[in-house]
This record gives sequence, structure tokens and C-alpha cells, in this order.
Amino acid sequence: MKTPQRALLLVGSPKSGASASSSLGTYLLEELEKRGLQTETVGLVKALRAEEATEALHTAVAAADLVVLSFPLYVDSLPAPVIRALELIAARRADLPAAAGDKPAFVAICQCGFPEAEHNEVALEICRNFAAAAGFAWAGGLGMGAGGMTGGRPLREIRGRMRAAVGALDLSAAELAAGRPLPDEAVRLMAKPAFPAFAYRLIANRGWRSDLKKQGATAPLDARPFA
Amino acid sequence: MNAKETGAALLFDGRADDDPTLALIHEALVDGLAAGGWAVDDWRLRDEKIAWCSGCFGCWVKTPGVCVHEDAGRDVAARAARSDLFIYLTPVTFGGYAAELKKALDHVIPILQPDLKKTGADTRHPQRYERNHDLLAVGTVPAGLGSGAEARTFRRLVQRNSLNLQPLRCTAGVLERDSGEWEVRVAVNAWLAEVGVVPAVAPPSLEMQEAGA
Repeated sequence: MKTPQRALLLVGSPKSGASASSSLGTYLLEELEKRGLQTETVGLVKALRAEEATEALHTAVAAADLVVLSFPLYVDSLPAPVIRALELIAARRADLPAAAGDKPAFVAICQCGFPEAEHNEVALEICRNFAAAAGFAWAGGLGMGAGGMTGGRPLREIRGRMRAAVGALDLSAAELAAGRPLPDEAVRLMAKPAFPAFAYRLIANRGWRSDLKKQGATAPLDARPFA
Repeated sequence: MNAKETGAALLFDGRADDDPTLALIHEALVDGLAAGGWAVDDWRLRDEKIAWCSGCFGCWVKTPGVCVHEDAGRDVAARAARSDLFIYLTPVTFGGYAAELKKALDHVIPILQPDLKKTGADTRHPQRYERNHDLLAVGTVPAGLGSGAEARTFRRLVQRNSLNLQPLRCTAGVLERDSGEWEVRVAVNAWLAEVGVVPAVAPPSLEMQEAGA
């Protein structure tokens, strides 16, 4: 890995507003910026909406020497639009002549709604395979459980609750800025539960019932409309 | 393994282009299911306009069990709920499913309930329906990479999916893109036997082997 000058954050959340993926990725990008890197952020769903936006995505990827992908876990894998974007990026890079020198680095951050970070492992493996296929140097992946606890808010506003994640991203920024891959300690910290799993399940399950009422749903949570 | 009597299979056809090996696999799957007396809902996804799942959770808390978006994505849960066997057909893409398939699979969550329950060592969502869904996922990789990293990841992904869908039977199959017809048919029949569609049988005859060579 070379010492990066320009970092690109790819936000893989299909949500239109604030998201945990954006919170985590933006914090890392800000920490990289503090260390002198130029930064840019592209939302992948938006980038797929029009040819012009997709071209802008390719241009941003080509200009970066560190790419950070931050996304939510969808059915044990990456959300479909993120896969689509990676397919397009890999196809474009396959058409390019091999660049001289070090490959740009690729890092992934995956968070899920389950309390255990282990659910993210296969998705991060897919990211590592993508990096190899698309000519990036794999610099590591961070997996986080209970990602919804960020509420899509900036991590700096909720540092206490997200202490471990902030620590993981601080460590990651320091190493990546120096041209080194993610340290094991960052991976461990990011996977550290912010909350005991049983308490998280209890709160989440109450939350679903509360949301059902707020939405004015006429069917119960366990309805079987297609039985 | 013994075959089930019959059932309903939902074939998520995630082919994005005219890959001849995937076409052969598709044909062998449809033939095998018909031979086993199964009804097949053969769903060619590339013909469908399905919006990306936005992760709004409306299918859990607004219209439980039904996607709030009115497009073919809503049909995923409806068709899945009436199926005994899910079959995924896809080019293996970085070890996962291609976007063409995944655009539909992201809409499968309405067949689960939102509650988080401890199941074994992990937390999972309970099934919404009592009907059990077996799972067969078949993917192709470039020639020579049948034992490569992407093929290994694909098998891990399918195994991971099986923990969430909780099928009685689950199989992941990977074939290389230069596989011939005989090889495809032998492999597909073996996988269909593993998920109970057809009884396990000996490989096709020598004539068939020669015809496919």
C-alpha cells in the first residue's frame, strides 16, 4: 500500500436520508482529512440513477488512491445497488490498462441490525474478492453489530454510546493515512458490542411494536398476508 | 436422500446475459423439477423492474408482510410464501449473488418477522410462515476457478442464508463456465436430489455423456 493522498467514501445505504453507513464512513473520512488527505463522498444509489452520475462515480474512483465502502448488511450480503455499482466499477477497471506502481487501497465497513458483528463476515469477504477482481489492494474490513444504534447521527454527537466504534475508526484512520492496512485492534473494537445482546433484542423488539402503532398499521407484526 | 412427493419451486433466475452455461443449468433445473413432478415458478428477473429495497422496514411495521412499494418487488414475498423450494441461479459475483438476483432477494425480508430472537449462538428473525422453504443456490465461475476464493465465499454465503431462512435442506452448487451439457446435468440432478426434488440416481448414460461432450 502506498501513502494515500486522496480518499473516496462510497456510501452504500439505499436510504435516502441519514444512515448508519454514512455516519461511520463520514467519521472515518473526516479523520483522514485531519491527516491531510483530500476527500470526496459518493452515494451509490444516486450514482446509479443516471449515466452522468455513474460516469462521475467512475471518475471519482479513478482519482482515489484509497476507497472506503460503507454499507448495511442486506440478507447476509451487500445491498443490490452496491453490488451493481461494484460490478460496474470492476468492469470499467478491467478495460483500463494496468497502472504502474502501487494499487489503490480498498477498505469496507459493514454494519448490521443484529447485535453480533459476525453476521458481516461473508459480506466483507465479498468485498475482499471485489478488491482482488477490480485491481485494488485489500486494506481490510470492519464489521459492526447493532448498527441502527447510530440512528444515522454523526458519530461525534454520540461518542459515548459509540465509544468502541469511534476508537476503531480513529485507529483505522491513523494506519490508513500512513499507507498501512487496518490493524487487528480496529477490527476487534468495531466488533465489540456497544450493548449486551439480550438488552439490545429487548429494546429492538419493543421498538418494532412502538413503530407499528406509530405507523397506524392495521395488521399485527406477525400477520400472514400470503398464507 | 429420498425425494419429496412433489412441491412448488420458485426459481429466481438471476441471469444478466446469455451465458451459455447458465442457460444449460436453467434448462437442467426446469427439466429436473418437471421430472420430479414439481410445479415451477420460473421467474426471469432481468425482465422485471424491481426498485432497490430502501431499508424502510415498512414491510415489518406499516404493512406487515407486504413491501410498501408497488412493483414486482412486492411479488417476491407473495411468491416465496407459496413455495417449498427456493432456487437461486446467478453468475457468482465476487463470491456473492449478481445484482440482477439480489435486487429480488433484498425483498425477501417480509417473509420474516421483525422480532430479534436468540437462535443458537446468534440472533435471528423468526419465520413469518409455517411453510418450510428448502434452498438450492447455483452459480457459475470462470473456467478453472471452481475451487477459487469466490466459489468458497459463495458456498459460505448460501450456508449463511440457510441459517436465516432455516430450510430443512440447503445446497450450494458451483460450476465453471466452460462446463458441458453432460457435466451440468449430472451436477444439477445431484443438487436436486440433495434438496429432495428427485431421488438420487446414477449419472446419465454413456450416450448422454457422449452427446454432451
